[in-house]
Amino acid sequence: MSHVIELTDVHKTFGRKVQALRGVSMHVDQGQIFCLLGPNGAGKSTLVKILMTVIHASRLTGTMLGQPIGHKPTLRRVGYLPEHHRFPPFMTAEQALHFYGGLSHMRRPERVRRIQEMLDLVGMAAWRTHKVGTFSKGMQQRVGLAQALLHDPELLLLDEPTDGVDPVGRREIRDLLHHLRSEGRTILINSHILAELESICDQLAVVVKGRVAMEGTIDDLTTGRRRWAVQWRNADIDATDLDIRTEGDSRVATLPDASDEDAQVVIDAVRAAGGVITSVQEIRESLEDLFMRALEDAGDADGAVPGAVQGKTEKPS
Amino acid sequence: MTSVWAILRESWLSLRAEWLFKGVMGLNIIVIVAYASIGFDKTGVSLFYGLTHIESEFIYEGSPMSKTLYLGIYSAFIVNMWLAWAASILALISTSSIFPSFLSAGAVELVVSRPTRRSTIFFVKYSGGLLFVVLQVSVFTLGAFLAAGWRVGAWDPAIFLAIPIVTLFYSYLFCVNVLVGVITRSTLIALLATLLFWFSSFSVRTADDIMSQFTYRIGATIERTEARVAELDTEANEAEAAGDDIGAEDAEHWSVGPQKELARARKAEGQLAPWAAMVSGIRAVLPETARTLGLLHRALERNTDATLMDLMSGAAFHDDDEPPRELSEEEEAQIRHLEEEEKIPAWSIILKSLIFEAVVLIVALIIFRRRDF
Repeated sequence: MSHVIELTDVHKTFGRKVQALRGVSMHVDQGQIFCLLGPNGAGKSTLVKILMTVIHASRLTGTMLGQPIGHKPTLRRVGYLPEHHRFPPFMTAEQALHFYGGLSHMRRPERVRRIQEMLDLVGMAAWRTHKVGTFSKGMQQRVGLAQALLHDPELLLLDEPTDGVDPVGRREIRDLLHHLRSEGRTILINSHILAELESICDQLAVVVKGRVAMEGTIDDLTTGRRRWAVQWRNADIDATDLDIRTEGDSRVATLPDASDEDAQVVIDAVRAAGGVITSVQEIRESLEDLFMRALEDAGDADGAVPGAVQGKTEKPS
Repeated sequence: MTSVWAILRESWLSLRAEWLFKGVMGLNIIVIVAYASIGFDKTGVSLFYGLTHIESEFIYEGSPMSKTLYLGIYSAFIVNMWLAWAASILALISTSSIFPSFLSAGAVELVVSRPTRRSTIFFVKYSGGLLFVVLQVSVFTLGAFLAAGWRVGAWDPAIFLAIPIVTLFYSYLFCVNVLVGVITRSTLIALLATLLFWFSSFSVRTADDIMSQFTYRIGATIERTEARVAELDTEANEAEAAGDDIGAEDAEHWSVGPQKELARARKAEGQLAPWAAMVSGIRAVLPETARTLGLLHRALERNTDATLMDLMSGAAFHDDDEPPRELSEEEEAQIRHLEEEEKIPAWSIILKSLIFEAVVLIVALIIFRRRDF
């Protein structure tokens, strides 16, 4: 599988002290939905902005769609939805899309056709001639998606795409992302809403304090991270090494990082003590658990504290 | 080219949405209607479409001076006062937000993340800002052209020179506005900085004009007193040679005053020279706002028999048979100054100002290109 984005050792320091990125290396495969996770100030948006030439990296080696990062003509093949975007409020939805389409070198006949298609796609066709300044946050987000898709890009970079969108809209956006993936497009999403990403992510990277703390598919990253929960009643077992809690008249033992055999040992012990097993559950690690583990593994006890690393710039290795 | 048109169209939509743009356009029309209300008949000048009448034996329908007066009012008053001051301030208020709002968080990412180069975006956006002035002045000059043709039969296409000239003048200010806007991303700071620059530029120009007139007057005084002292010295020498001691003493006595005046003038000249050089040096790097506007005046006066200055000073009404009125030193200095100004070639005025503008824009572009948003 070819890499649509390949980054090696990306650094970005704002001023002399704020180290937003401290050697990010990662790759995004073609036709996948890649999720970029991380706490506030971890450097996710900075990384996306570097890819879109909005921010200049302090140091960077990498390619996007086979061209060096910063190659302007390549951006014709990339769609981008920035976080907290703001359209010119005096423009109608249609005029705004003509403007951004023009900036992406789309000719007028192509724009006219695509604008109609995109406004239909994001459910904003009825608001075509209304001023963007009068739109709600969710409506603006929909127009934002339309402008990102307008020039039929191979690669989409979406920064908080469901921000401000209602539950119905979120579901529509999820479906749209699945549809776009099925067309072979590559999508990089930067979001905080982990539950939402869980169902669509093919691959992910967790960025903590300007570094990739974890990267891979959810399956790869959660393998060996299964937990078993065994619930029973009418018996006490002697197992000081187990985390056993009482829920009503039942007991529940949780076995982190346990194999199937480990669970059998507990079940046997309960039966031997005359207990009645009421449930045995395999619990997979959630994206949220994975995220929290990434923060811990990064050795960052304050990982969830927002903000980039501040201090003297590290000497490049 | 599609991106260029897209940015220009966005500029146009932005202007159209500004109430100030419509307001200034309305004021332009009022000024032109007022200008067209001045007319000429067989006996003099009529004002407010005939409501008031001023009798004149020199200025009447068909007289050469009526044309000079009418075009002079346009170039010296309406363009210089309305377009160059009032309308320009309103234009600055209106266009000062162009770059700061374009560079505001959330808006700029959507534009600079496109395949269009930042330098293209910058220059087209800059041109879009000048569109305000181009459109306003175009409507205005069309009105002035029709009024001049109707009132004095002067179907002079030179009137349309106001479009490039006023736009050029405005661009000298707007480039400063853009530079400050790019650095600070604040509309208010950009506007205040531009007004401060304009005021400073105006002050330097005025100081330079006054100093050059002073320098001329001091030079004239030195020349005059040197001649007087030399004359009295000659008289004294001749009297002494003729053995006329009283005459020689008289001449020496009378030369004391001019010698003191000469010493004072030379001292003043020495004191003024470094200041004049400093002010001229500062002016040399600033754009020529007033001289650029003066180019329109020059163009419109080329086909008239007398200048507006002649009309205002009364020289135009002077009878050729009468001896010319003796001018004061101050008047001579002013006339000399105006003559010197007229000698400055148009290309040098424009080139010097454009060099300033280019330097400011290049600095602004470098900042814009390197900036992280």
